[in-house]
Amino acid sequence: MINTSPKVYRLGERAIVLDCSELFPALSKLTIQNRIWELAQKCRENRIFTDLVPGMNNLTLFIKDANQLADWIARLPELWSDTTGIKLDKPSVEIPVVYGGKYGPDLDEVARIHQLDTSEVIRMHTAPEYTVLFLGFQPGFPYLDGLNNQLFTPRLSTPRLSIPAGSVGIGGEQTGIYPKEAPGGWQLIGRTNLPLFTPDNPESPTLLAPGYRVRFTQVSSLEFPQ
Amino acid sequence: MINSPQEVAHSSADIEVLTPGLFSTVQGIGLTGYRHLGIPIGGALDSHALILGNRLLGNPDNTHGIELTSGKVELKFNRDSWFVVTGAQYQISIGDRNIWSGWRNKIKAGETLTLKGPSSKMHAYLTIDGGIVQHSPLGIGGSTSQALGRGDRLQLGKTLSITKPIGAVQRGYCDEIRALPGPEMSLFTATSRKAFWHNRWQLTNASNRMGARLDGEALSLSAPKELNSHAVMPGVVQVPPSGQPIVLLADAQTTGGYPKIATVIEADLWKLAQTRPGQSIRFVHVSPSQADDANYEWQQYFYRLQRAMNGS
Repeated sequence: MINTSPKVYRLGERAIVLDCSELFPALSKLTIQNRIWELAQKCRENRIFTDLVPGMNNLTLFIKDANQLADWIARLPELWSDTTGIKLDKPSVEIPVVYGGKYGPDLDEVARIHQLDTSEVIRMHTAPEYTVLFLGFQPGFPYLDGLNNQLFTPRLSTPRLSIPAGSVGIGGEQTGIYPKEAPGGWQLIGRTNLPLFTPDNPESPTLLAPGYRVRFTQVSSLEFPQ
Repeated sequence: MINSPQEVAHSSADIEVLTPGLFSTVQGIGLTGYRHLGIPIGGALDSHALILGNRLLGNPDNTHGIELTSGKVELKFNRDSWFVVTGAQYQISIGDRNIWSGWRNKIKAGETLTLKGPSSKMHAYLTIDGGIVQHSPLGIGGSTSQALGRGDRLQLGKTLSITKPIGAVQRGYCDEIRALPGPEMSLFTATSRKAFWHNRWQLTNASNRMGARLDGEALSLSAPKELNSHAVMPGVVQVPPSGQPIVLLADAQTTGGYPKIATVIEADLWKLAQTRPGQSIRFVHVSPSQADDANYEWQQYFYRLQRAMNGS
């Protein structure tokens, strides 16, 4: 039985942080994250929060009325203890990727670092079902859990000034997709043409959301914009 | 505010951008509810100035206006409009007619509004009766803040029935910025904690809509500390390994991993928007109840404005 409970504290005038970092490793990061999404879902029903933003094993709750902050700081530990950690039913998204060549300029280097064939790297990258832990950095940028540890790869020593939108990369223990063109130091192994951020569609402006599952599939060609 | 396409079809070029200035953007007061998707709030850096302009015109608070950063901006109006310029001090003219800041003025169809500045402070806000129409709430502002370009055409909402000029006294700028201690304040050395509150911090040229980057005596942690990525918001003062603090602003990314030494109170966030690179500021330690009082002062300011307008 784990008697560690999350730390709960205020951030500024209208935010509460539920920090579960000390629950790891007694609980797995994914279990903690599942409980965070469950808690966020429950809090969303209250409509007194403007945003419920998960991070890595933490949740920040932005409250409309700052006067209710103290009450909620007191209530959260109990709400947390009611969460079960059951795997929530979230959509699964398949992401077609052209690996290697000009779309994945670092694929050969990643293979060389790990002494694998490029086809092995692709197989290992397309095998798992990844989970979107949270989004950040850019609109729609997913932090994914599930990368095969044989593919953990250091970042480039000199970051690129511009990485095209849709680039699929590996940076350290992470893999992810760049929704927008940006500078970055990840090793680029492929590219997708699926738009990850669609601001003209406010109902669903991002392809992914916290808890979504992601699978990469290899395709030989895609039509890219421009 | 979203107007239906039918409603705006007839007015597709109410304003033509003849000269865009340096980084002029269309902004409202920002949009919450999307931060879990990595989408920042965005909106005017000095939202109080934007709201003041909108209130003087009778627009809803979240009506979009133009945030000016610097240089010369020339806008040709193709419909009679009432407008207000608030925030930083700009030289405002229509032809050879000079216009006061903070006052509601009329411009006729065919005339060109010229704004030059700023002569003091940083960002000015041009608000217009009916506001600038935005097709998608996420299309402009926030992470997608796009600078206006020469030849851009803007659409305005429904014109309001305004008959006379009125104006307001804007609240004074000062370089003392009130802040609450952040969750990681205690991780910093005693010297750094003292330096944060007592030293002056100079705003650097690298500042932008994402963050006010400060320069001063480097701050350091008592011991190295890795934090998990977590949500951040405008006002958070984060300290990267360089030790030079960054105050996050409207377009900041939604998550971060640096220690948060403090959070600027909401009532004073506008001051950072109005500090120019090269100028310095000082942080003043306040309590949450003092932060509440500061918000209340803003409410009172707008309440008195409303009373004066109703009585005029």
